[in-house]
Amino acid sequence: MCTSAESMVVRDEAREPAPSDWTPEQQIAHMLELCEAQMESALAESDEAVNALIRSFTGLAEATRELRSSIAALPPHLREPVESRLNDSLAAIQDDMTSAVVAFQFYDKLTQRLGHVRYSLTSLAMFVCNREQANAREQWQRLFTALRRLYRTQEEREIFELMMQGVAAPEVPAAAGQDHDAAAAARAGEVELF
Amino acid sequence: MPSAASHVILAVDDSASMRQMVRYTLESAGYSVVQAADGVEALELARTRSVDLVLTDVNMPRMDGLTLVRELRALETYKFTPMLVLTTESGQEMKQRGKQAGATGWIVKPFHPDQLLATIAKLI
Repeated sequence: MCTSAESMVVRDEAREPAPSDWTPEQQIAHMLELCEAQMESALAESDEAVNALIRSFTGLAEATRELRSSIAALPPHLREPVESRLNDSLAAIQDDMTSAVVAFQFYDKLTQRLGHVRYSLTSLAMFVCNREQANAREQWQRLFTALRRLYRTQEEREIFELMMQGVAAPEVPAAAGQDHDAAAAARAGEVELF
Repeated sequence: MPSAASHVILAVDDSASMRQMVRYTLESAGYSVVQAADGVEALELARTRSVDLVLTDVNMPRMDGLTLVRELRALETYKFTPMLVLTTESGQEMKQRGKQAGATGWIVKPFHPDQLLATIAKLI
């Protein structure tokens, strides 16, 4: 936590803090670190689940490809009576897989955004440990500027701007409103050739 | 006219799941796909074999996508190769940087498979 400039974590002290070591800054850093650990754990668990899903997806894609080849290899008298029905089924599978390709990418985007949140928590934990720094208004401005540079998506930047304008966190989704969702949906898949 | 099967696409992304989705989409359309997890790996690959199109993410460790595009454009063999950037970045400033680096186009993630394939079909 706040005992080292290099690292915020002194785990032994966290278990049995000496009374003289107790500071509000240390507790804030500890709490931020707890949030980070919870997020890390949840993300690791989700990653495993999503990786399993992707393996299933890949297996399904392979099976579909094999099925297509097998149908094509059937002698005409066997293929023709079932071909149309099988092709319709394969087309339906293909549509579902296309939707899955888009959905998987949203998970990837989520992981990226949570990575930025995690980095922000770490930065804040280190920041509050330096009392002099934490008491200087311009240092907070620098911290916010540094965190804003992390953001890669328009949605992250919009949320940041709303918060900077004083909108309370629970009200951000409503403040961003439907326009926010519509704009995000419109940007997805946007293609611009130069 | 050459078929998709004769075209090789280099897909670059540090996310394994993204690489998987891109690979599935492109292979379903008959393209051959080679993959790299960052710009350094992609540059090495591109130097050892020829590819017909590069599809790269921007934010990656070791070497980002825009540097990769710039490095590839400096090579004689990749002067005119289409290079698409596929990224969550949608700001005009970044797009402008991509254009200056030599990218052919910009696609905002998440991509829709049909749109991606239609764009690639226009370029190769």
